Amino acid sequence: MMLDAGGGMSPIDPRLQEALDNERDPGDLPADQQDAYARLMTAATLLSAKPAVSVADRVMAEIRAMPQQLHTGNRWRRAARWLTRPLAVTLRLRPAWTLGLAAGGLAAILLLPGDENGPEPPRATEGIAQFVGHFPGARSVEVVGSFNNWSRGKLHLRDENHNGIWHGDAVLPAGQHEYMFVVDGERWVADPLAGRYVDDGFGVGRQNAVLIVRQANSEDAPQQ
Amino acid sequence: MRLTLSLVLACVAASSPLTAQSPTRLARVPDAARPAIDSLIAVAVAESLPTEPLVQKALEGTAKGVPPDRLVNGVRRGLLQLREARIIVARALPAGQAVPEGHVAAVAAALARGLNPSVVERLLAAAPSEPPAPALHATADLMAHGFNADSAADLLVEAHDKGLRGDRLLDVATAANHELQRAGGRTQSDALAKVRAMLPNVPAPVTPVTHHAP
Repeated sequence: MMLDAGGGMSPIDPRLQEALDNERDPGDLPADQQDAYARLMTAATLLSAKPAVSVADRVMAEIRAMPQQLHTGNRWRRAARWLTRPLAVTLRLRPAWTLGLAAGGLAAILLLPGDENGPEPPRATEGIAQFVGHFPGARSVEVVGSFNNWSRGKLHLRDENHNGIWHGDAVLPAGQHEYMFVVDGERWVADPLAGRYVDDGFGVGRQNAVLIVRQANSEDAPQQ
Repeated sequence: MRLTLSLVLACVAASSPLTAQSPTRLARVPDAARPAIDSLIAVAVAESLPTEPLVQKALEGTAKGVPPDRLVNGVRRGLLQLREARIIVARALPAGQAVPEGHVAAVAAALARGLNPSVVERLLAAAPSEPPAPALHATADLMAHGFNADSAADLLVEAHDKGLRGDRLLDVATAANHELQRAGGRTQSDALAKVRAMLPNVPAPVTPVTHHAP
């Protein structure tokens, strides 16, 4: 099933469905359905893509690829190397201040909430959510919802290929979340691919998308 | 040393999780709506209803720039749904069993998605000690695709009886919707029969990543 522009449900064309199920050659589809087929396949490819290589792996790869630095060159290069090279620094601290700073740091680590968009793997009560939207010509797309207290600027989608397909993922608490896309910082749009919607309750018939995050390591999930 | 300790204690107090629960979360809410919303949340507290859905509704309306009067009405509507949800949960659970806040919030969300109270009650009674959200969402997913509410509930109760639990119940709805979309003009009752025949072995999602409903 797909959504029409007005947000209502309408059945997918059986020919398009057959092509998506590999039961029909996509080349046999009418031109407009071939476009829809191509967009859906692109979105499906994005959804099945493996997560990007971690930041740590990328940094290590960059370091390995760096040419060996030689102790040659002119005065300016030597000066630049001196400025950028790690140096041993001795700090003299009073024990009371040192203990205070250490206790403060420990308290911050233990009590401050972590970055919800960070690269940490999901815990037992969390899952991974992927967001994909087709917004050609958009300058920015972000996801705002109950998982981030409806705050702006927390979860931005990316259009790395500049083809209007914006995507991103996040580790979220398992369970139900309501959300919307905010396009170009001002246009609120219910995710056309969400499949679940609920009236937002503010009396103008606007709907939120509903996302159900499944636990990444759920005992309910069958063993694969 | 005294100054150091004071600084550390101040740091601990400022980063306490209790801060996240305080009214400062609603600091963004417009002044014109704030007193009424505070009152509605106080009523929820007094009635032992979950407050988080109301806080989220207030934050949502504020983020969307909803005018104060409609913002307050949206939160009030949420409070009414929570009240209705608690009545349904209390009726469905065995006598004397406490009404869990999680059940109330899940039922309120299901009512907002369009489930009628009798179907909700039936699903709760079928599995009174389990989190109801997956079965409720699965039924709402089926209804969104044109399935009859009672038939959808029948299928979910049968899936539960055959051992499916938790998020696996969502896979039942996914399977039925997939059958409905298959080529060949399959009807809703055909799709339900097909899925009923495969219970409890409905296909699982191919990846643990959540994206959207079928």
